[in-house]
Amino acid sequence: MTHTESQDLLLDLAYGELDAARAAEVSAHVDGCEECRREKAALDEVRKAAAPLRELEEPPPGFDHRILQAAAAQVRLEHENVGQVIEVTGSVKPLGVDATRIDAHAPVRAPPPRRRPRWMLRVAVAGSVATAAALALVVSTTRPRPAAPLVEEDYRIKVQPAAPQAVDLALREAEANKEAQRMVRQKDLTSPAPPPEPPVAALPPAPKQQAVKLRAHVEGGGGDAADSYIVKKKAAPLPAEEKSVDPSHRALENREATPQDAVRRLAGGQRYTPFAAASDQLAPMRQAAASSAAPANDAAAPARLEESAQRARHAGNYPLAAGFYREAAALRRGEDKDPASAAWDLAHAVECLAAAGLFDEARQVREELSRLYPGQDTAQAAARRALREVDVVPAPSAKPADH
Amino acid sequence: MAQERTDEELLAAYQQGDPAAFEALLRRHRAPLFTFLLRMLGDRERAEDLAQETFLRIVKGAQAWEHRARFQTWLFTIARNLCVDQARRDRFRRAESLDAEGPDGEPAMVESVPGDAIDPSRGAESARLRPLLQRALLSLPAEQREVFVLREQAGVPFREIAEMVGVNENTVKSRMRYALEGLRKVLSAAGVSQETAAAEPGPGVRLGRA
Repeated sequence: MTHTESQDLLLDLAYGELDAARAAEVSAHVDGCEECRREKAALDEVRKAAAPLRELEEPPPGFDHRILQAAAAQVRLEHENVGQVIEVTGSVKPLGVDATRIDAHAPVRAPPPRRRPRWMLRVAVAGSVATAAALALVVSTTRPRPAAPLVEEDYRIKVQPAAPQAVDLALREAEANKEAQRMVRQKDLTSPAPPPEPPVAALPPAPKQQAVKLRAHVEGGGGDAADSYIVKKKAAPLPAEEKSVDPSHRALENREATPQDAVRRLAGGQRYTPFAAASDQLAPMRQAAASSAAPANDAAAPARLEESAQRARHAGNYPLAAGFYREAAALRRGEDKDPASAAWDLAHAVECLAAAGLFDEARQVREELSRLYPGQDTAQAAARRALREVDVVPAPSAKPADH
Repeated sequence: MAQERTDEELLAAYQQGDPAAFEALLRRHRAPLFTFLLRMLGDRERAEDLAQETFLRIVKGAQAWEHRARFQTWLFTIARNLCVDQARRDRFRRAESLDAEGPDGEPAMVESVPGDAIDPSRGAESARLRPLLQRALLSLPAEQREVFVLREQAGVPFREIAEMVGVNENTVKSRMRYALEGLRKVLSAAGVSQETAAAEPGPGVRLGRA
C-alpha cells in the first residue's frame, strides 16, 4: 500500500466501500502515516458534524394519495383489456388505410358502464385514420365493415387510450399547476426591477421535444404558465454548453505576456465566458475583479482575483475559477514576492480544471506549476492529487510522496 | 410479507398487476427520497412536489423497467435529474433579480431553508444544528451537494453515483472531497465543530490538500 493509493482510498474506507482485506491494508497505512491519519480524522470530523443531515424526514400527510391513485390506474389500464374508450373521428381518404383492416374481427365492445374519469378526452383527430391508428390502438369501428370500396367519408372509431396516457395527463396537470403556483409566488417576490434581457441570440433553436412540452403546458395550464416557460427556455443554459469550453480560453496561456496583458484581458470580459448564463451571473464579479486589478502594481490585486476565483469555484463554475486563479498566479509571478501563493494559485487552477473535467488543460497548468515552482512541494502534491485519477502515467515531476 | 421482498421483486410484482407491491415500494422509499430532495433544495414544498413527480414517473415507467440497475438507482436518478431541471430554472430567476441584490447578494435559497418543524423525537442538539447544516449544504455547488447527499444520506455507493451523474467514479470522489472540505470550512466558521476540532493537534487540516 503506497501513500498515493491510500490517499485515493480514504473516502472508500470512510464509507465502508472496501472489502475487508483492502480496508485492513488502508487502515494499516493510515495508522502509520501522519498525513493520512490527519486527513482521515478531518474527514471523520466533518461527517460527524454533518450527522443530523442523515436523519430521515417524512413527507407531509397526504403525500401518497395521488401516487397510489396513479399506480392503481396504471395497473387497470395495463391489465384490463376493456378499458375506457375514446371516440376518435377520422376522415378516411380513398387511398388511406382501411380502418377495419387493422382489426377486422375485433368484437364490437360496448363501453363499460363505469363513470368516466376526468382525464377522459374526446379527441378529434383531423387526418387519416392511419394517424389515429399510429397514436392508439384501434379496437373496432362503430359500424359494420363496408362492403363497397371506401370513399372519403367520416368514420367514428373507438380507440382504447394508449396506456401511459392517464399518467401523462396527471404529470402535465401537476406540472402546469406547479408552474402556475410558482408564477404566483414569483409575482409576490419579484421587485419591479426589469429583468435583464435574456441571451436569446446565443442559443440554438429549441429542439422539437421542447415544442411538444410547451404545448403540453398550454393544454394543461393557463397562458401565463406557458409564457413563463418559453422565457425560461430561452434563458436557461443548455447542459451541453456547460461542458463546452471556450476555445479562446485555451489560447490564453500563450498570450500571457505581462500582468498588464492579463488585466486588459480580464477587463475585456467576454473572453472568460465558457457559457452564456455564467457570464450573466458572474459579470458583476468579473467587473469587480477587473476594476480592482486595474492598476497592475496594486499589491492587493492577486488577492482580489483569488477571492473572485473562490466565489466562482463556490458557484460551481470551475473553468472561470481556474481562469481567475491563473490570472492571480500571473500577477504574483510578475512580483515574485510570494512563490508559495503563486504556486497554490496554480495548484487550485489545476484542481478546478480537473473538477471541470478539463484534464488536458489541467495537465498543462500542472506542468507550468512544476516548471516555475519546483520547490513548492505541497502545492505540487495538491496538483498531482487533483489529477492522479486520470493520470495513466505519473507526471514527470511526480516524486514519491513527501512522507 | 411484502417488506421482505427486494425492491426489484416488488416492482416485478407491480408489473404483474399487483398495486399493493407498489404501495410497499412507496412506503419504503418515500422518506429517503423526500429527505434527499429536501437536502438538495432546502425547501419542503418543492421537495414534496419533486418527490411526487419522481414517483409518478416511476409509475409511468414501471412497465418498461428492466432489472439492469437497482430500483433505488433508478429512483434517485429521476429525482436528481428533476433537481437539475429545477436548478436550471432557478438560475434564470436568480439572474433576473441579480440587479436588485447586488453582486454579493446571496441567492434566495437561503431564505427558504426550513427553520421550522423541530421534531421532539430527535435530539434537541441535532434539531438545533440541522438548519445551520442545511444552509451550509446549500452553499455548496450543486454537483458537490448532490454527491454528498447521495453518498452520505441516501447511502448510494460512489460507483452508482457516477452512473447517475454521468461522470467517472474518480470525479465523483473529488467532488465529494470538495464537498467535505467546503462543509468543514463553513461549519468551523460557524463554530459547529469547535469541540471536536479542539482535540486535533495543530492547525486544521484541509481535506484534499497536503
